[in-house]
Amino acid sequence: MTDTLPPQADLPDGSAAASRPPGPRLPLIPGPIETAGLLWRRLRRMSTALMLLFGLSVATLLATFIPQEPVIASTVRLWRDGTEGPGETVARVFDALSLFDVFGSWWFAALTVLLFVSLTGCLIPRWRAFARNVRRPAARGGNLGRLTHHVTFDRPDGDDAAVLDRVDRVFRLYRTQRVTSRGGQAQLAVERGHWRELGSLVFHTSFYLLLIGVTLGAAFSFTGQIDIVEGRSFADTPLGYQSQTAGRLWDTDRHDARVTTIEDFEVTYLDGDNSFVADEFVSTVTFTPTDGGEPVTREIRVNHPTHFEGLTYYQRAFGFAPRITLRSGLDGGELYSTNLILRTDANGLWTARDKISQGSSDPDRPLPQIGIEVFFLPDAEFGPDGGIVFNSPEPNDPRLLVTIYSADDLGLDRPVPVSQLSWPQSAIIDQAMITPGQSVPFASGLFQVEMDTDIAMWTGLQVSHQPYRWLLLTAASLTLMGLVPSLYAYRRRLWVEVHDDHVVLAGVAQHRKSQFVEEFDTLTGRVGDALGTRPRPAPVASPTQTSTPRQTPGSPA
Amino acid sequence: MTTTAALSNTLFNVAFGLYLVAMIAAFFRLAFTRVRADGVQASTTAGQRVGLVGTALVGAGFLVHLGSVVTRAMAAGRVPWGNMYEYGSAIALVVVGAALVLVQRRYPHLMGFIIAGALLMMTTSLLLFTEAGPLVPALESYWLQIHVSAMMFSSSVFIIAFVATALYLVKDRAERKVAMSTAFGGSTVGAAQVTAPPAGESDIVGRVAGDDLEEAEFASPTAQRDALNPLLFPVIPFVVVLTFVLLVWRAPLAAMIAASAVALIGSGVWYAIPHLPPAAKLDNLAYRTTAFAFPLITFGIMCGAIWAEEAWGRYWGWDPKETGSFVTWTLYAAYLHSRSTHGWRGRRAAWVGVVAFAALMITYYAVNLFVVGLHSYAGV
Repeated sequence: MTDTLPPQADLPDGSAAASRPPGPRLPLIPGPIETAGLLWRRLRRMSTALMLLFGLSVATLLATFIPQEPVIASTVRLWRDGTEGPGETVARVFDALSLFDVFGSWWFAALTVLLFVSLTGCLIPRWRAFARNVRRPAARGGNLGRLTHHVTFDRPDGDDAAVLDRVDRVFRLYRTQRVTSRGGQAQLAVERGHWRELGSLVFHTSFYLLLIGVTLGAAFSFTGQIDIVEGRSFADTPLGYQSQTAGRLWDTDRHDARVTTIEDFEVTYLDGDNSFVADEFVSTVTFTPTDGGEPVTREIRVNHPTHFEGLTYYQRAFGFAPRITLRSGLDGGELYSTNLILRTDANGLWTARDKISQGSSDPDRPLPQIGIEVFFLPDAEFGPDGGIVFNSPEPNDPRLLVTIYSADDLGLDRPVPVSQLSWPQSAIIDQAMITPGQSVPFASGLFQVEMDTDIAMWTGLQVSHQPYRWLLLTAASLTLMGLVPSLYAYRRRLWVEVHDDHVVLAGVAQHRKSQFVEEFDTLTGRVGDALGTRPRPAPVASPTQTSTPRQTPGSPA
Repeated sequence: MTTTAALSNTLFNVAFGLYLVAMIAAFFRLAFTRVRADGVQASTTAGQRVGLVGTALVGAGFLVHLGSVVTRAMAAGRVPWGNMYEYGSAIALVVVGAALVLVQRRYPHLMGFIIAGALLMMTTSLLLFTEAGPLVPALESYWLQIHVSAMMFSSSVFIIAFVATALYLVKDRAERKVAMSTAFGGSTVGAAQVTAPPAGESDIVGRVAGDDLEEAEFASPTAQRDALNPLLFPVIPFVVVLTFVLLVWRAPLAAMIAASAVALIGSGVWYAIPHLPPAAKLDNLAYRTTAFAFPLITFGIMCGAIWAEEAWGRYWGWDPKETGSFVTWTLYAAYLHSRSTHGWRGRRAAWVGVVAFAALMITYYAVNLFVVGLHSYAGV
């Protein structure tokens, strides 16, 4: 971004006001057009852009340390309850300022819009100036003797054009033009380094592309999650996922009801000290297209998603899913049978909770609610101090601690996931440890609880459609491609001027002045070689011409 | 633990010791170098010898350190930057390597401070030590190598940029103070006039100050040292590091040791003021290193987004680490911009650079260790 100087405001000088002729005075309160003009000029200023950048960083820094609802909703809930974080009052203040969702807040959007407006205000004049400058050939220079870098050579034989012909080769890679100086001397004007401005413009312009890519991508995207037991299938329908987020412009007709079957899930663990760390987990799935095409079998691994007809499948999570069956103690009839999706809790135990019966509040035939809670130990034993010692993550010695709860209100009719309910100790009707294939009587034989011998696994898949990523990739490449020249290229202009008895080489650099010192030295040598003469020693008389101006601290060199 | 892993740890400790001695040698050389009134520096014979030994020690330390990183890679069977210990060690290695290439020849007196930075990095690494081991599957990707390498290299160069920026702020302040006291004969009454010049004379005052700025470089160099309060130099770093370590690790003893070490280095900075290159050169070094690291960190963040897409199914999710790196990127972009903005060049831009570096450190330590997110180094 270029540096725009603050507009030279007239000083509110008392004498000026006094001498002003009587007549219609400027309104003290600026009108809407003046205000808009003022704001626009303000926004275009570099210091405003800097302030907006700082605002963006501060907002983001806050979002780093305050939990964000779209990222970890559960922690935000705890902060709001006051169980975690700085307390309920502070949480309420945070909520008022939408600090739990910084990136979805109106003020973050306003900040971004302002930044882009400021960028636009900066870029339009710069693109125009660049288009003008890059078309214009190198311009003639005057007063070469006063430039910081200048050197004088003896003039070789030949007319002016012949002398300039000699140095032409030196500046092969530069933009050159033969001109006549104001004093009438033949001059070769040389220019290089428009790359800097072009790079900077490309870098800044790529952010529009990035914004467009992000916006379009978000609007047309779809992401669904599903946790599913091996052997089962799910269909790609709007209701086929356990949770999903879709962009505003996502077309639900794009769900083609294709059936995905989980053929198998495998997990391997590391050896030695890390034997509880999963090394690799792989789901083998079969896609059955709806148009009657051949089913396709693929593997989905971590870091290796699978693409199939417009959707991408990611391996997300996994766990045990033992099959539990509850039979009536009277006639052996099946009351409940399911593969429980077990997840690890805060203590590293595999656990799940589920509803067996929602009961009935019918006053004639009231029935209590019944729930089941299980803890699964794949291969563990109880230590001498009562703690659990895990031997292996693999189900070598599977055991399941089953607890049946029953009460009039276990919260099973509330719209809350069962896993988030907590049930009181008093509601426990029975508890027992069961092993695969075993059938254990519960509540004095009221139920029989069984676990299947084969311990199934479940796999968590993420299915997503994220279009316009090519736009993002293009924007990212442009950003990088623009960034490097904008930092390293530098614009400089040089002139070779033929006088009656000498030739002058002079130059000036706009940026990276220390780099130009070296370049000018090299060019002096090469021009001298081309002319076949040596540079004359610099005159000692006038110190203003020979001394390098002192660099001010911070000057971009 | 395998023998290779044990060898790696030993080499790490040896490199640490070598750097430590080299840093002391660098400061020793400083003490035996006299800055003449015209700014030319001359070391005594002892100073020159110690300087040579110091340079050799840095070189040797670098090779041993490289050996430590390579054996670590062999022991773990993967790239040696998979956890915070390895990452910190690799950063320190790159810092020393880059300093040997970029700084050693042109600004030998900066070496001591840069090695100090590398040593601090290695110390924090030791606090986070982990045995060599394989990675969890989400980290097994070639994008890991590209993303983490880019982040590591850019962070290393940012450390050098920070050293240059911090020293620039000190040197610049000293130069200004000396220029001011020369202009007004050291009288505080005169200095007061700068803030409130009599109306109508501002032109003259300005020109006088400007002319003397030219001469400030040739004024007695030790005057620059005397112009600044020697107490602030140990106290400020002490407080900053003490607070930071207490907040992050909650280890009072480690905090005291680290803070004392930094306080010593702070005093070293004060002593070294006359030896430091002119402020303009330091500023230029800070800019050039930042200009090198910035495209690299941009590339690193992009690779991170591609990796996130493959591993987690989204390219950007405002995970705390992603958020932190965004802050860092924005602040370094602001630094580069502020250098070409009127009223921001020089000291203000340098302060932006300092804040950006603070954001980098917070993103690295605090986010890794405290904030729960996908980038958490579980168990570190």
